[in-house]
Amino acid sequence: MPLFGDKTGFDVLNQSKPRIDGADKVTGRTRYAADYTMPGMLYGGMLRSGLASARVVHIDISPALAIPGVHAAITAKELPNAKSWASYQYLTDVVRYEGDVVALVAAESRELVRDALEAIEVEYEPLDAVYDIRSAIQPGAHAVHEEYPDNKFSQSVYRIKKGDVEAAFARADVIVEREYETQYAEHAYIEPEAVLAYNNPNEGDMTVLSSSQNPFFTRRYVADILGTSMNRVQIIQQTLGGSFGGKEEGVGLAAARAAYLARLTGRPVKIVFSREESFLESAKRHPFLLRYKAGITKEGRIIAWQGTQIDNCGAYNNQTQFMNWRANAHSAGAYAIDNIETETFGVFTNNVHGGAFRGYSSPQLIYGQEQFIDECAAELGMRETDFRRINCLKDGLSNATGTTLNTVTLSEVMEYTLAQTDYENKRAKHAKQTSKEYRYGIGMAISHRSCGFGAEAPDASGAMLIANEDGSVYLNTGLAENGQGLKTAYAMIVAESLGVCYEAVSFYGTNTHSIPDCGMTVASRGTVMGAQSVKLAGLKLNAIMRQNAIELGFFSDTAKIEKACGLAEGSLRDLVVSDPEQLELKQSEFYLKEYPAYRVPFGAVTGSGLWAGKQMSAFEWFTPPPCIQDHETGQGTAAPTYAYGCVVAEVRVDLRTGYVDVLHVTSSHDVGTAVNPALIRGQVYGGIVMGQGYGICEDMEPVKGKCVCTNLDSYIIPTAMDIPEMQINLFECDDPSGTYGAKSVGEPATEAVAAAIANAIANATGKRIRTNPASLEQVLLGKKLR
Amino acid sequence: MHQLQYACPTTLNECLLLMKEAGAEAMPYAGGTDVMIHLRERASCVQNIRLLVDLAKLEPLHGIRLENGMIHLGAMTTHAEAAASVLLHEHAPFLAAAAATVGSQQIRNTGTIGGNVCNGSPAADTASPLTALYAEAVVASASGTRNVPVPKLYGRNGVELAPGELVTEFVFPSFAGWKTSFIKLGRRKALAISRMNVAAALELQDDGTISSARIAPGCVFRSPDRVHEAEELLIGKAPSRALFAEAGQLSSEEMIRRTGVRWSTAYKQPVLEALVERALLQAAGLPLEE
Amino acid sequence: MITVDFTVNGERVKLDVSESARLVDLLRETLGLTGTKEGCAVGECGACTVIVNGKAVCSCITLAAGLNGANVITIEGVSKNGELDDIQQAILDHHALQCGFCTPGIVMSAKALLDANPNPTTEEIQQAIAGNLCRCTGYQQVIDAIADAAERRAVQE
Repeated sequence: MPLFGDKTGFDVLNQSKPRIDGADKVTGRTRYAADYTMPGMLYGGMLRSGLASARVVHIDISPALAIPGVHAAITAKELPNAKSWASYQYLTDVVRYEGDVVALVAAESRELVRDALEAIEVEYEPLDAVYDIRSAIQPGAHAVHEEYPDNKFSQSVYRIKKGDVEAAFARADVIVEREYETQYAEHAYIEPEAVLAYNNPNEGDMTVLSSSQNPFFTRRYVADILGTSMNRVQIIQQTLGGSFGGKEEGVGLAAARAAYLARLTGRPVKIVFSREESFLESAKRHPFLLRYKAGITKEGRIIAWQGTQIDNCGAYNNQTQFMNWRANAHSAGAYAIDNIETETFGVFTNNVHGGAFRGYSSPQLIYGQEQFIDECAAELGMRETDFRRINCLKDGLSNATGTTLNTVTLSEVMEYTLAQTDYENKRAKHAKQTSKEYRYGIGMAISHRSCGFGAEAPDASGAMLIANEDGSVYLNTGLAENGQGLKTAYAMIVAESLGVCYEAVSFYGTNTHSIPDCGMTVASRGTVMGAQSVKLAGLKLNAIMRQNAIELGFFSDTAKIEKACGLAEGSLRDLVVSDPEQLELKQSEFYLKEYPAYRVPFGAVTGSGLWAGKQMSAFEWFTPPPCIQDHETGQGTAAPTYAYGCVVAEVRVDLRTGYVDVLHVTSSHDVGTAVNPALIRGQVYGGIVMGQGYGICEDMEPVKGKCVCTNLDSYIIPTAMDIPEMQINLFECDDPSGTYGAKSVGEPATEAVAAAIANAIANATGKRIRTNPASLEQVLLGKKLR
Repeated sequence: MHQLQYACPTTLNECLLLMKEAGAEAMPYAGGTDVMIHLRERASCVQNIRLLVDLAKLEPLHGIRLENGMIHLGAMTTHAEAAASVLLHEHAPFLAAAAATVGSQQIRNTGTIGGNVCNGSPAADTASPLTALYAEAVVASASGTRNVPVPKLYGRNGVELAPGELVTEFVFPSFAGWKTSFIKLGRRKALAISRMNVAAALELQDDGTISSARIAPGCVFRSPDRVHEAEELLIGKAPSRALFAEAGQLSSEEMIRRTGVRWSTAYKQPVLEALVERALLQAAGLPLEE
Repeated sequence: MITVDFTVNGERVKLDVSESARLVDLLRETLGLTGTKEGCAVGECGACTVIVNGKAVCSCITLAAGLNGANVITIEGVSKNGELDDIQQAILDHHALQCGFCTPGIVMSAKALLDANPNPTTEEIQQAIAGNLCRCTGYQQVIDAIADAAERRAVQE
């Protein structure tokens, strides 16, 4: 299988085209939601409880309303439906975590909003609370929700049952069992959530300009709080300043509150989260408690695998049921094991809710699984490389869901990476270090990831293409640019499929009035699956336009063709161009396959086409082939295809302070087809550094339900000074499942990094850290101080 | 929140009179990197402030100069200026080094040494070398000036100046000829608050033995201070790894003796040992390991 | 209110501001220069970076009242006559941006660096942008772009 660079046959794809939105972004002209103001606009604000579990005994908003310039103040009592369509509360009088909102205000300035919030008098009665997974599952623990008396989120329970685990354990020569734990992590996109809601009757009951990762998701909240129908709510998605899965529920809640205040006051209302609010109310990466047990033969084959994966949902239903589907499907890692039994479920606690965050459970799982594989190999006295070679997924073998896999590139990706990093030699050399100050370590992790939604949700989408009279092309679809470069990739796919120049295509994001709900831009599905409808629309419009070119007579004048092709006069007099199959449309030019020298510009055909009343647009909907799994056993088809990756991390550990310096990370990924290699490299660089932060320094540190870190001074993400040297290897393969053969990369880029770092630390120190992150204290003392 | 007034005096006299008049309701404004955050948070320390006194235009608070063997460092010297100062690199290199580790380029461009100290955080990076330098703060008010050793600026709640008082400069002897070092341990390499730091300075005699030593750890005591026993241990001895390891141990013991065993001691005890040892090795130019 | 008289992107601006107003609000709300972003409000993320008197500063912790006589450059003042500056062009060419929210701040930090130090080392580049948090790019392409911009500037001189 080749490294990137051997694919042929594309006109536009496989090239590092400049970003379609780049010039506007480098000049600061791009507008984000917080950049808008409107005449008469008010600012909205939320009073958050700051308590993990309490009941509002008394709340008095009148002092806030008495302040001149304050136009509205409401509590849960005044809001007809304080509970959202999901289980979140727009407003509540029963506080289940510190970010819960007990009052809303709207005022003429941000300062007045603060004054109003401070003026509201609230008396709370503290209630019992439960903070972590272990105590939440204890019998008799405080129930966060009455409907879930044992705190177990029953809709989030998934199982894998494959083969006969009990019998296999009985046959095993070695049994290894370990437990791992991960922390709350924050997306820390640099743009805090922002919305501006206003009523313009020309547009419906409410329009919201928002920093939504999925505007249709936001619309659900706004229609819900207003009690209006979705066709009367318009969400215009603005440029997102990063999301990584985070601008879903939080933005929905903010948009709904702003919309309600806007209706109440009759004025536009803007809500911009402070960084602290963003930390408090946006979903987090769920903490997981992971228990794995493997039965292994003395030759090193894993014959039995048992797992319990419990995640901390926090206070509200927060996509755990979807995330656990993924956690379940990947509960045995990138390994082919015949006998598997795993259980995955979420528990409620009085903490901020978990939710979607780049990887959607995989960084947590891989952190445990890939350390576990190293630990199993060590128990066997086997090199962890050989152990992986024996057990990893290969063509014709089946993964945890019982899906037999093809085009499994994992071994090639892994071997290339190991050779390039001189992994085995370094690993052996590092094991012999004697320094008492600094030690070096190298570690690896491999991954396989289902591309797109798979059996989690329908991976459907729609796209509309409009060719204008001047030959320019407008794309409208419902998937979102989060910063990853989706607009650029989509414009390239339009250019490739429709056959126009990349520069001729524009795409400005999603307006819910203009296109059907295409699902969320999540699960690394944007390019792989979401763009399938874009490609279909492009191919369809390509055929339509070729037909138009013929019908409009652009290929009737044979003399012109003769001249352009340098052929004798009259030689083509019998040529009849009547079948669109005779024509090609590429790079905004039509030509005959047989006589390609005669070219007709795309714009000439569209120019005539408009006045001739020709169809010059196409809408296509893509429905993926079904992926069906048995709910009881998890067996079936989980995904159309998988992406494979291998990460090797090299670290230097300060034995006397616990400081881990990540020196070098090599990250190799099978991307199927590299639609835009520079964009992919950007994803992988960013994914490495995000994974580094997750593995080393990022931790919300909730203490009794209160997060210690609520701004970027205490929540530590890597700076430009902290990054390792990075080596990226992109592999391509022939797997037709994704759009033009593309596979996911956004999430694979980050999911295995923390695990590789953890394995490298163990190589350096000889000590295994099973609790993420490898903070100063964790590395030095083997425990957190708080 | 009170309506704030803003003043930007151009002479020190004018400034001190303004501050006298406003008393406890005046807040000096240097780089703003802390004050602006307090104002945003409506923090208790600014609850009663009615006047911001911008020190930007006060000439005597700017600049670094050498006078009769003493360095005068204006309180409005930014971290960036200190980090780049040729004078400091010669006469107090570890202070320049400490200033270079503060925050980010943006913070170093605006935040000042005076502000770093007067904000009163035990994690103030420049306070450690200033303490090792025996630096005195010149505290001015309408009724005169007094010189206060940097550690003595601190009371129970950080730096405690009387209403109307202002730190105008720091004065310390030239340490040219000393061997100094500054080590900072943070959770990342920039924008990091010190988990701990150590400023160390050694003066060596011709025979190679240590004649004077200063060791000032940060984030260890309630206020910046030196570890005296460890310093004394070094006097008259030749630099060695064993000696510095012992100094590290003494430093940790002194920390525990003075602050007691706290939740963070399990971590701080071994790490302070390591940092003191390393700072001394670095100052003496000895390698970390054989 | 207090009157401040200063220069923004070469144009003299004289206006009344609240005594406690922050520069970022003055730029974004009063002057409509929304290219400067606010990400943390505590001087940590650098999205609000502008150049004041030649130095990169965080406008979220800069008091507007203290700006009399100052020369302020924002992202809107970097490109001349609609043409991208070398730094902007290099960032574009190196794909050194994704969501773009931190990009204006990074451009300002890079400009302040290269204006003062035309030939920076990689570490000096890293230092100069360490106060500009970026969650998308992992910084590598940004560092490459700034190094490239320095070379482009050198070629033109």
